Amino acid sequence: MYKIMMFSGGVYKFNELKELTQDIGGFILQEMVMQMETMLHLAFPAEEEKVIRNKVKEVGGKLIELPLAGAEIMIVVPSLGRHHAVDPMCDVAEFLRRKGAITNMMGLTRGVGKRIAQMKVEEKRIIEECDAAVFIFGNFKECIEDKKRICDDLEVPYIIVGGPPEMDLPHYVGNIGRRTERMKRKHEIASLEKMVEGLRAELDVRRREIEEDPLAASPLFLKELIDMTIPPKPGEEFSTIIHLDGLRVKLEPGEEEQIRNIEIGNRKLSDICEIKKSLYEGYLLKILPEAETGSVF
Amino acid sequence: MEVKVEGGDEFANASYSRICQNIFREVGLHSNVDNVYLFCDPSEHVFVISVKIGRVPSPITVNDMTLRGDNRLKITDEKYAPKLLALLWDKFDDRVKQLSRLEITVDVDAKEMEKLMKMVVYEPREDLNVRILDAVDRILPEGARVRYPLPSSGRVTIIASENPISDEWKKRVEDMVAELEKGGTVRCIR
Repeated sequence: MYKIMMFSGGVYKFNELKELTQDIGGFILQEMVMQMETMLHLAFPAEEEKVIRNKVKEVGGKLIELPLAGAEIMIVVPSLGRHHAVDPMCDVAEFLRRKGAITNMMGLTRGVGKRIAQMKVEEKRIIEECDAAVFIFGNFKECIEDKKRICDDLEVPYIIVGGPPEMDLPHYVGNIGRRTERMKRKHEIASLEKMVEGLRAELDVRRREIEEDPLAASPLFLKELIDMTIPPKPGEEFSTIIHLDGLRVKLEPGEEEQIRNIEIGNRKLSDICEIKKSLYEGYLLKILPEAETGSVF
Repeated sequence: MEVKVEGGDEFANASYSRICQNIFREVGLHSNVDNVYLFCDPSEHVFVISVKIGRVPSPITVNDMTLRGDNRLKITDEKYAPKLLALLWDKFDDRVKQLSRLEITVDVDAKEMEKLMKMVVYEPREDLNVRILDAVDRILPEGARVRYPLPSSGRVTIIASENPISDEWKKRVEDMVAELEKGGTVRCIR
């Protein structure tokens, strides 16, 4: 079981931290060096946390928990109009990114209103490509109660956020409704924290399921192999996005075959993954459980 | 600007009151609107907004936004610069030269220059309704696309819903506007 954390500190000896992470069987997921500041997203075996903490202490820096790391989350708003953007849509997205998630934003074609609100089948499929979804609804209790029906059939974990502080709804977090100012006050940050906690709880259920029925290979390991086969293009960010049980890979035409033939132990990638074109972006790799594929080594 | 929101629960009323204040400030109408009354009925999905137009600022003349020095004009408020240039080019054609971002020369005699200084660059009254309607559009929930405007002088009133607006609602809102016009306290129209 890998743990994903963020290192934030100076450039002093940070290469040693990178090497140590790789030595203990970990991965560097993201790396950003801004003059004298560095930011690293590290994935390492959970039992080696102490080793990493000691090294971080030595080089001077902070190790920050990323509760949503390794998950791609879709933020769904009724429309992409200025009623929802930039606040609270971007506030929510930014906060989730700070907690380690990769976020996408989506405005529904016919998501506005109460009775007339609906979600298209294609939109539902796009949302289900991600690990979880956050639905941002408005400030009226009656509307949220009615509109929650559009999320009922979703097969991925989701959270509904809205204005009313308390509502008798499952997966609901209040105080994040329609607004025209940025969420930066203490009580607003507390509401966003509550939303992250809700998402974390939902994702933890899925993580436990995966732990009980382990995947043929870790998505982190596959990302490393894919990045070695098809190096990220210059200036391209997140060419490979990690999901809880797979990956989203952005490929050029013709590169799909290369991906299929990547060797993992005594298998090919296509043997242990379901590969399909994403409706949204790139290709989706869903890693099959080891029980189904057998051991790759 | 006074804002009153009624009809929803306590939280919705407070949040929409804040939304109204912020949006009118954003579109620059905060001081041109006397009061705003918003009625929300989320269960029937009917929203009524009534905006009482207040004092409109006086027209902006060339004198208000430039400093004069012989034939030279120095723009002091760049916000109106495109409108000023369009006006001058229209009137004086190639006798107008823009020397730098904020400097203009106009090849005219002193008498004409006097006249020029009094010319109106921007009349806020012209686009007042458009700006109010823009603000109203931003305030009302996006799903309430069926709109019914109630004409009255000095006031913009709009009923909005996602369903066809019934005659009963129209009548109720007409009564409400009449009450507002009388200047009495607004009563919840539910």
